[in-house]
Amino acid sequence: MDCPVCKNEPMIVLELNEVEIDYCLSCKGIWLDAGELELLLGSSTETVEFLNSFTSDDITKEKTHKCPICNKKMEKILVIGNRKVRIDKCKYNHGIWFDSGELEDILGMRKLDNKNKVLTLLNDMLGKKIKE
Amino acid sequence: MVGFIVAIAILMIIVLSLIGIYNGLIRLRNQVKNAWSQIDVQLKRRHDLIPNLVETAKGYMKHEQDTLKGITEARSKAMGAGSVGDKAKAESELNGAMSKFFLVVENYPDLKANSNFLAVQEELTSTENKIAFARQSYNDQVLFFNNKIQMFPSNVIAGMFNFKENEFFEIEDEAERAVPKVNFS
Amino acid sequence: MWELIRANKRKSLFLFFVMGICLLVLGFFIGGAYAGDDGGFIGLFVAFGIWILMSMISYFRGDSIILMMSRAKKVSYNVHPQLFNVVEEMKLAANLPVMPDIYIIPEEAPNAFAVGKKPEYCAIAVTAGLLERLNRDELQGVIAHEMSHILNRDVLFMTFSGVLLGSIVFLSHVFLRSMWFSGGGSRFRSKSSKGGGQLQLILIVVALIMAILAPLMARLLYLAISRKREYLADASAVRLTRYPEGLACALEKISLNNYEMKTANKATAALYIANPLKPKGMKLSNLTSTHPPMDERIRILRNISHGANFIDYQNAFTSIKGKQNIIPSSGIRERKKINIRTSTAASTQTKSTKKSTRDLGDLMRAVNKYMFLSCACGLKMKLPPNFKKDKISCPRCGRENHVPIAELAAMSGMIAIDEKNDSIQNNEQVKQDSFVYNRTGKGWETFSCRCGSPKQLSPAFNKASFVCNKCGRKIEIKGP
Repeated sequence: MDCPVCKNEPMIVLELNEVEIDYCLSCKGIWLDAGELELLLGSSTETVEFLNSFTSDDITKEKTHKCPICNKKMEKILVIGNRKVRIDKCKYNHGIWFDSGELEDILGMRKLDNKNKVLTLLNDMLGKKIKE
Repeated sequence: MVGFIVAIAILMIIVLSLIGIYNGLIRLRNQVKNAWSQIDVQLKRRHDLIPNLVETAKGYMKHEQDTLKGITEARSKAMGAGSVGDKAKAESELNGAMSKFFLVVENYPDLKANSNFLAVQEELTSTENKIAFARQSYNDQVLFFNNKIQMFPSNVIAGMFNFKENEFFEIEDEAERAVPKVNFS
Repeated sequence: MWELIRANKRKSLFLFFVMGICLLVLGFFIGGAYAGDDGGFIGLFVAFGIWILMSMISYFRGDSIILMMSRAKKVSYNVHPQLFNVVEEMKLAANLPVMPDIYIIPEEAPNAFAVGKKPEYCAIAVTAGLLERLNRDELQGVIAHEMSHILNRDVLFMTFSGVLLGSIVFLSHVFLRSMWFSGGGSRFRSKSSKGGGQLQLILIVVALIMAILAPLMARLLYLAISRKREYLADASAVRLTRYPEGLACALEKISLNNYEMKTANKATAALYIANPLKPKGMKLSNLTSTHPPMDERIRILRNISHGANFIDYQNAFTSIKGKQNIIPSSGIRERKKINIRTSTAASTQTKSTKKSTRDLGDLMRAVNKYMFLSCACGLKMKLPPNFKKDKISCPRCGRENHVPIAELAAMSGMIAIDEKNDSIQNNEQVKQDSFVYNRTGKGWETFSCRCGSPKQLSPAFNKASFVCNKCGRKIEIKGP
């Protein structure tokens, strides 16, 4: 699977404590396969609500990317919290692409992450210091 | 002249079909033999696996040395057995010892989680199954062979060349088939 | 007993024959429509030629084409010992002369198929999703079903009928297209004006009707053959395993799956144990499906009560589907009672969803030739086969890790640990230069020998040491 942003750059899979992400070494973006986000966040009501709130944002001029699995154009999803984050989701439900830092932002601004467990693990995985 | 040719042709057909039936019987007999030898192969495989199992379990089961010794002894007895009767008896003793062992294992969660042990256990489960299936297949082959021998026209050929019915491996009932139950749920 | 089943194929053969006639008649009329009554025989020969050619191709290359299309990869024992054991068990039960080749398809949808012209040369392919979801007894049921297809020569038969169907569809498609593009047959009209038009016109009309009807008819025949063979394979699987519940549970689990197989298509669908393509319509699918409805197959299996013989399956079948002979009469004649066995209940530890998702993913990656590195900090990195750098710095701790890419692509199978050591150089010095590899976990791990050749360990690898098949070094494996 190649990175949808850098193209021709193979993504690698990282696993720590049974959490697994597809990761691009050059742009540091993260790809989550279908179902992985649910696996990551657990099936609390907040998660379900969050996943159901996805609506396509067709006004944005942000560059679209192609799904690394089916190679079809992905749609932009606007996630609003204290900041706005645009993520790319495959229309055929193959997964979601997060540019560098986007996944962390989303975890931070919605109350999805119980006690920051996922964020801590993610930061640990990618060798980032946790912001106090 | 025509009559002669027809007679020759009919004779040829009869001879050829007789040869066909004979070859068919030989092939079936070989299949029966092959199925029988498979049982032996699998029994031997079980003997080979047991030291492995005992070795893995030894460290965990300090207090069950008797059980382990029981298996090892039953194994060497089974391996040394000569006549078919002795063999059957020794193998069923080995079955007994193994069942006892697998019952005891229930008390050792550490051993049950050991990946080496899990691997040996899968091998043993499979070998037990293979023994059972080899017997089953032997009986299937015998059944088919015997049917062939009894049925016309192959019974004529069978009688001429002294093909004899084979015996079934008759311990295919529940009690014996319940070979050491390797159960760790 | 199997021989009897095999000998009793007249019914299927008859259907096959009818399909063949369909093709030839179609060819005759299409040829006639083009070039009058002489054309009829040319058309017949062309149709026959296409049929023979395609049959030859599928006979000699069919197996490898199907395996290639499904992206199945041949695997060795260490990748999945249980799968190999179960196949060997069924091989013994079926008294198959050789062990089939075993393939894993890196797909999540649970499914399986078998290929092979004859029992002496055959292969069984299962998906990674199947292995992850089924327990031992269920897997045994599925393998027995596939083994039965091999024993009953279904694969050969289905490929040939598939090819026949393909030829019919192809011919009528080409004909209808040409009619369409020639503007409703203006070419024919100009010809018919020269004389003998009446006959020509009739031939065109008949050819048109044939071109529309023949594919439909052939498809229905094909489906009828295919479904009957599924039932027969279920019955044979019960006969082999003596445990109908195993197959029933497996089918239940398979039917609960929501994934569609990416590598299956209409041409190969009939080979799988369960229809790999999700039907779009609802009820109509019963008539147009290559497979009998799952719930029916399961109900029949669960209805078997007295024993595991063919007659018992037939009785269960009759009680659910009504009077219809599924088992050839030679199979029914066998009256010896066969007891159903009790479950040998293999050790099924219930894994968490997370764990089994990871295991499934790793198995698929291993089949797809990923490399598995474990950094000293505990982070696991899984690199795709197109990862070309020979070093990777760990995103977690920054350590440089060596990537054993050399020749990884050339690795046959997936496990570099070959039992045979024929190519070893007889170098005493190298032989003494053994080293220790410390495993970091229980998962897949890739590392390189001191000579540079890559080694991959599967979770099932449990030997204490092995010898490098390249340089002859002894590599000791220390567990975590």
